[in-house]
Amino acid sequence: MLTKWYTGPSVWILAIALLLAAGCTPDKNPGTGAEAGKKQDELILAIGYEPEDGFDPTTGWGRYGSPLFQSTILKRDKDLKIVNDLATGYEVSDDGLVWTVKLRDDVKFSDGQPLTAADVVYTYETASKSGSVVDLGILKSVEAVDPFTVKFTLNHPQSTFVNILVATGIVPKRAHGEDYAKKPIGSGPYKLVQWDAGQQLIVEANPEYYGPKSVFTKLTFLFLKEDAAFAAAKAGEVDMAFVLPNVARQEVPGMHLVTVNSVDNRGILFPVVKAGGATKEGAPIGNDVTADIAIRKAINIAIDRKKLVEGIFEGFGTPAYSVADGMPWWNPETVIEDADLDQAKNILAEAGWQDTDGDGILEKGSLKAEFTLIYQADDQSRQSLAIAVADMIKPLGINIKVEGGSWDDIARSMHSQAVLFGWGSYDPLEMYNLYSSKTAGIGWYNTGFYANPAVDEYMEKALKATTEEEALGYWKKAQWDGKTGFGAKGDAPWAWLVNRQHLYLVRDGLDIGTPKIQPHGHGWPITDNIVEWSWKE
Amino acid sequence: MNRRQKTILIMLLAALLLAGAVVSGLTLGDERVVTNLDARNASPSLEHPFGTDHLGRDMLGRTLKGLTVSIGVGIIAAAASTAIALAMGMLAATMGKAADAAISWLIDLFLGVPHLVALILISFTLGGGMKGVVVGIALTHWPSLARIIRAEVMQLRSAEYVQVSRRLGKSRWWIASRHILPHLAPQLFIGFVLLFPHAILHEAAISFLGFGLSPHQPAIGIILSESMRYLTSGMWWLAFFPGISLLVIVRAFDTLGENLRLLTDPRSARQ
Amino acid sequence: MSLVTFILKKLLRMASLLIALCVLSFWLASCSPLDPVQAYVGADMTRVSSEQREMIAEYWGVNKPPLERFFHWSSAVMHGDFGTSMIFRRPVAEVIGERFTASLALMSTAWLLSGALGFALGAVAGMKQGTWIDRLIKWYCLTLASTPAFWLGLLLVMVFAVWLGWFPVGLGVPAGKLAEDVTIANRLYHLILPALTLSILGVANVALHTRQKLADVLASDYILFARARGEKGLRLFWRHGLRNVALPAVTIQFASISELIGGTVLAEQIFSYPGLGQAAVQAGLRSDVPLLLGIVICSAHFVFVGNLAADIIYRVVDPRIRKGESA
Repeated sequence: MLTKWYTGPSVWILAIALLLAAGCTPDKNPGTGAEAGKKQDELILAIGYEPEDGFDPTTGWGRYGSPLFQSTILKRDKDLKIVNDLATGYEVSDDGLVWTVKLRDDVKFSDGQPLTAADVVYTYETASKSGSVVDLGILKSVEAVDPFTVKFTLNHPQSTFVNILVATGIVPKRAHGEDYAKKPIGSGPYKLVQWDAGQQLIVEANPEYYGPKSVFTKLTFLFLKEDAAFAAAKAGEVDMAFVLPNVARQEVPGMHLVTVNSVDNRGILFPVVKAGGATKEGAPIGNDVTADIAIRKAINIAIDRKKLVEGIFEGFGTPAYSVADGMPWWNPETVIEDADLDQAKNILAEAGWQDTDGDGILEKGSLKAEFTLIYQADDQSRQSLAIAVADMIKPLGINIKVEGGSWDDIARSMHSQAVLFGWGSYDPLEMYNLYSSKTAGIGWYNTGFYANPAVDEYMEKALKATTEEEALGYWKKAQWDGKTGFGAKGDAPWAWLVNRQHLYLVRDGLDIGTPKIQPHGHGWPITDNIVEWSWKE
Repeated sequence: MNRRQKTILIMLLAALLLAGAVVSGLTLGDERVVTNLDARNASPSLEHPFGTDHLGRDMLGRTLKGLTVSIGVGIIAAAASTAIALAMGMLAATMGKAADAAISWLIDLFLGVPHLVALILISFTLGGGMKGVVVGIALTHWPSLARIIRAEVMQLRSAEYVQVSRRLGKSRWWIASRHILPHLAPQLFIGFVLLFPHAILHEAAISFLGFGLSPHQPAIGIILSESMRYLTSGMWWLAFFPGISLLVIVRAFDTLGENLRLLTDPRSARQ
Repeated sequence: MSLVTFILKKLLRMASLLIALCVLSFWLASCSPLDPVQAYVGADMTRVSSEQREMIAEYWGVNKPPLERFFHWSSAVMHGDFGTSMIFRRPVAEVIGERFTASLALMSTAWLLSGALGFALGAVAGMKQGTWIDRLIKWYCLTLASTPAFWLGLLLVMVFAVWLGWFPVGLGVPAGKLAEDVTIANRLYHLILPALTLSILGVANVALHTRQKLADVLASDYILFARARGEKGLRLFWRHGLRNVALPAVTIQFASISELIGGTVLAEQIFSYPGLGQAAVQAGLRSDVPLLLGIVICSAHFVFVGNLAADIIYRVVDPRIRKGESA
């Protein structure tokens, strides 16, 4: 009898033990050694998050540069100048509407098939229909004139269209099926060998690649978060790891720290119109306090940007004064003297802000100098910035209430409250999107309803310009032309705070060349100059 | 010292602890937790007994404010949960077999989903924030107490004086309010005291996972989840002190509840 | 009532609960004001225009009425299709299957460990009732019951991983190791700390229960009789105590699966262990409705099966326990 009673539970325990065993089945092939750096032509990198969408450029892969598996029509060199990649040259019609691109005739995909104009046409048509995060609203049509000539027709002139040619990897028309994102075929420097979702990506040099070859024939990308990447670097398991500022000062034997400048910036957007309006969805527009230019200027001048860099990014960053510090279209005159509380107080006093009731917060009539600053709740550095700025501004008599929220929450209140945003792109179109009166209230662009006819005019001219030089001049003037502009000296619709530096622990002896200024987003773009990487010896 | 005296002593201690945390948390000025980028990551000292965090904020101040939030949530949620348990237990015991079966089925349903998973779902439904946490805890913690109340009510209903009242033609409401509720009061109170530490623990857990309060607000769970980022840098004080403060409060109320329960439990009379 | 009809009845009840659960959780999820499209685009909004957001919304089918979506969803679930996870861009069933295996390894280790340890502690405390060792064990268990699980995990990480460096800080496998090189030893090594966290906490329940049961048994007449015959200590426990308290302990372990899952969610978060709990948190935070619903249903299954096991064991051993108590 007794044994019978005991069978019940033991069967259960057995079943669970079996399941447990099944969970950790040993792998049959104890493959090649995983110790990093063992082979001279292989690298193990923990430098980026997993692109969960996979590697399909028509749905967004590689738009921050370096699609790795695919190549693009044009690219930026390390000075961010635009140069040919797949193209041998391009022409823009006088009205700016028709872009004609000549392609190289010697390019092959990694499966050995040639790349022709048909593939380019297919890529752009697919991307504009994909409903994903690639914005090709400007493109009217694209057609193949001959096997190596492509003609793009735009809805209206836009000089920044060139950046779409830089950011879009070309996919093969024949081989762009359902699982392309998992098994990409392209004409880029590397081809995919194995992708273990959630873990790693293994790539090998593409023998068909037409450009200069990297000395590294095999790369393994591990998908670790920054703290795990740091642990892996400490354990000597990777050749390169991206890390966060809070650990970057720690010594790691055999590794050295590489800091790369970026336009991955953080700033505060202010609603610049008075309260009262509402969007179609019913979200309120405007804020009476931030609509006062004195408040915005005082905050811009009072913030101690160096201290923010030092205190929150452990010194790994630079003060930010615009959305595009260091880019070719940046106007260096946007830099202002900051950390000047006295001047900020003067500005406020001149504008009529006074602490009449003695509570430490200024008033102007019945209006209290008080507003909410909302930030993305799960980003700790944004949270730290928001809190630190609020505490920095308090001595001025301006009370900033800090509030964390999801993007959803932010979307509901971003027209009526200050928001901590992060931007930074290789495309000056971003500037247009943030400051043009035409993009006011559209998506995440110009959520503060900023409008200045002079700025609008400069930016329209920049878009219609047919040469890059001409465009650059107008972009700069839009920021500050000596009298007005959207910089802090002008209307100050934003208070830019910091540009983050991207930090990498790199194995001693590995030379990663001179990386370009990095865009928004830590990680993948660093492989952009991989052909320059080598072992020093 | 007998159990009664001991229980009273614990009750005093627990009340003192609670009042101390809440009063200091509420009266503490904001200047105590203001950022000070020059005094970041300081280990415990006389000036900052619990150390400071990555923005130079005083951890003692943050812990006290965090405890106040947790205690507030705990009391509201536990009270709501007790009320639900009372309603459900009474219904099950007085409304006939069908209601009893239905409520027992409902209890099984609520016990079927692990608390934390249910809390995540409810928090998602309410779009996050404090109300998600309070409603979530209130909705998930009532079943066990409801069972106890049901049993108690069943027993009371069969008691002689209730039978007499019924035969005298007193209304259900009259019986419930005059006979049943007064007898349930101690059970309800103990149930509440026992639910309270659970509610605090779950509040801390769910805010630790990132649901609930905004991450700059000083809830214990949030402080602890922040401390995780600094584990490798050896800043032990960020996690240690807030956690142990929470533990002390929870333990005090657990002990109190347990002692109260034993006091009223006839089975333990022999001890 | 025979065992078979008992089990059938229980299964029927389980099925009704599961159906109700599906309806309830779908309703809860569809009441959320959170916008899954926003969650999808997320932080990567640098280049998303509003027209594109419309297209994404259409792609996810969020513009259809809730009822229609429910029928669509429930009929799919009946066929085992839980939809596609928005975070992982893969079928939910696949994600859950993968994550569940990892979690199961963790949970069953903790389950067995805490069961064995808790039983042993409870047995010692029960046998030595009233002594200092009993008080110590009781104090320890009661303190554990008040300890925030995640805090204990953090302490273990600080002591064993950061200070002593004995164990890795996180992850299910060694950072930087290729999948094919990961051995069972690697996996176990990474399992130890999270499993330990769960076990330490799980001990309390079963230990206190066993202690109480054993105390009751020892106070019974036939133990008095056995003592009178001169039996004592281990022998007494072995012959009379063990059988009477072992099965209730197993029952209590099965019934505590719900709490174990809760603990696992926290432990996985602290140790960045890629299990179901971590997926649940991500799904909740990033509004991945299909995945969240899948996990709710999956974990409920697990709890129901545990409860069913507890019920069956209890029923099977019930007569014996009654005999033991009243003899």
